Amino acid sequence: MSDLLVVENLRQIFGGRNQTVAVDDVSFRIPAEPTIVSLVGESGSGKSTIARIILGLLQPTAGRVLYDGADIATSGRKWNRKFRGEVQAVFQDPYSVYNPVYKAERVLKLVIRKFGLAKSKAEAQAMMEEALRAVDLRPEEVLDRHPHQLSGGQRQRLMLARVYLMRPRLIVADEPVSMIDAGMRASFLNILQDFRDSHGISTLFITHDLSTAMYLGGEIIVLYQGRIMEQGATQTVMNAPLHPYAQLLISSIPTPDPRRRWDEDLSAAPLAEIGYGARAGRDRCLFADRCPQVMDMCWGARPRLRRPKVDAVESAQRDVACYLYE
Amino acid sequence: MPALLEIRGLSAGLQGRRSVTQVVSNVDLDVQPGEILGVVGESGCGKSTLATAIMRLLVPPQVLQSGSMTLRLNEGSSYDLIKLSESELRELRWRHLSYIPQGSMNSLNPVLRVERQMTDTLIQHGLSDKEARSRSAAALELVNLEPKILYSYPHELSGGMRQRVIIAAAVSMHPTLIVADELTTALDVVTQRQILQELIGIRDELGATIILITHDMGVVAQIADRVAVMYAGKIAELGTVNGIFETPLHPYSQGLIGSIPRESGQRVEGLPGEAPSPWNYPTGCRFHPRCPKVFDHCRAQTPALQAQESDRWAACHLYDTEVAADV
Repeated sequence: MSDLLVVENLRQIFGGRNQTVAVDDVSFRIPAEPTIVSLVGESGSGKSTIARIILGLLQPTAGRVLYDGADIATSGRKWNRKFRGEVQAVFQDPYSVYNPVYKAERVLKLVIRKFGLAKSKAEAQAMMEEALRAVDLRPEEVLDRHPHQLSGGQRQRLMLARVYLMRPRLIVADEPVSMIDAGMRASFLNILQDFRDSHGISTLFITHDLSTAMYLGGEIIVLYQGRIMEQGATQTVMNAPLHPYAQLLISSIPTPDPRRRWDEDLSAAPLAEIGYGARAGRDRCLFADRCPQVMDMCWGARPRLRRPKVDAVESAQRDVACYLYE
Repeated sequence: MPALLEIRGLSAGLQGRRSVTQVVSNVDLDVQPGEILGVVGESGCGKSTLATAIMRLLVPPQVLQSGSMTLRLNEGSSYDLIKLSESELRELRWRHLSYIPQGSMNSLNPVLRVERQMTDTLIQHGLSDKEARSRSAAALELVNLEPKILYSYPHELSGGMRQRVIIAAAVSMHPTLIVADELTTALDVVTQRQILQELIGIRDELGATIILITHDMGVVAQIADRVAVMYAGKIAELGTVNGIFETPLHPYSQGLIGSIPRESGQRVEGLPGEAPSPWNYPTGCRFHPRCPKVFDHCRAQTPALQAQESDRWAACHLYDTEVAADV
């Protein structure tokens, strides 16, 4: 069976004279078996750009995206329609995706009508109710309301109900929980896990919040300035990150446990921002100017993503782009 | 030790055409000198209204309804912030009270250099140009910025640097009390950690007291000494950070802490239901429609914030000995 999604050597360059390299030769794959892949990084790391390219909203400068073996950029209309049904998006802002004039039920009805999911009105009603229950919403509390009468958590779950109606194979979720309250986050993440386990729906989860990625499990991809620094099984990477950047990022998570506080000083990362930008060009490790373990060779050429050698043993389950492990 | 700030019966609301909708109701809170007090709660629970009320910076339609706020300064003077006039407040603000509002890193004037924006307030408070400049440079060093930043324009700085400039400006007069609202919300985790550690440094070096308003339980666990949990305009529970995280008493605090995603594979459930808005706060205990341990009394009677064990206060009928005896 071929992979569900393959991203090959993606590059995205914005701007004319002052070029910004948003995505710099990024490749990864989402396997056919249902899984959750988290794409994490700071703002400006290129994670949302990658999401937009995968959704077909942005034409990449170079590279391609294969869905189910076919290039999303060159496939025909009929294929596109299939793709639009099987790949669904959930965006960050649960306030701006709704038309405030219409009731919440329209979001679901529209999908049922456009994709001809139901044969009768009664069937459509039953489908909507089932979808709402799948995301822990009570139909009577939601269907007849306008968007402004729902909370952020309810709106974001309503988006998942719409996605559920489509029974897609892949959800691309761009920072879906950053604007909803802590109490509601866990239930949103649980729904994604249920979708994977009971309905075979995979998720590409884009976030800057590493604790949610940790909770979701699956695979993780750590981005920095448009490049993948480390990728692998979430548990492996989070418990023992190898790349100095991943180490810095993971040690900076505010753990919700007052008995496990940060150490006094942040050893890595001298003031990151001073001299921010592509000062020394990109033909090097981009983290070199902040890295506490920087070596001469880090400035010479870009380190490739490969299986790391730790104590001369190849570590399975992950790849790292760092000269320390070659 | 007497509290630095003693808040009693503080209520604030929104003025409507006919009536006032209460947002913050009857808050009692003691802020101890030198502590970092975390105020947590879901969005819309009144955290920011409480912060602005403490600073006396409510703007219409927000109104201060009642209460007292006694600020005791170490030179022995004390003030009831509610009774002070605008000009008296002007003297206190910046010198003794500093406020870092939410999103303030975007409030720097884009056409002025940092220097002008930092020294302006200092000169207003009677410092000479030269003193103001050296004070500003020293304050920048407190947040790990080089003094040459003074000659930069805001657009030349990253988000983390702009937030540091704001913090430096807020602490340049060595204030007694700093109220910081969602200080690190828009920043990435690495910068967040650095800034929070700088904040601890400011507390230690200047002996300042900090009230940190946040929705992020992780941030509170990392840097707060004590935590106040707010729900629907009231304080549900108050205690030490270890106490609140390890043995939360109020069912709301229990739900809030229980719903934090931790390790993978350990499934946690979210808090069911939605927080009420000030226009329809429930009667009795405001948490009762969502509470798993609700009983009749909760629907009718409002629980008061009562001392429980050492260093712990909870507003819940479960811990109200008289009520518990009735049930």
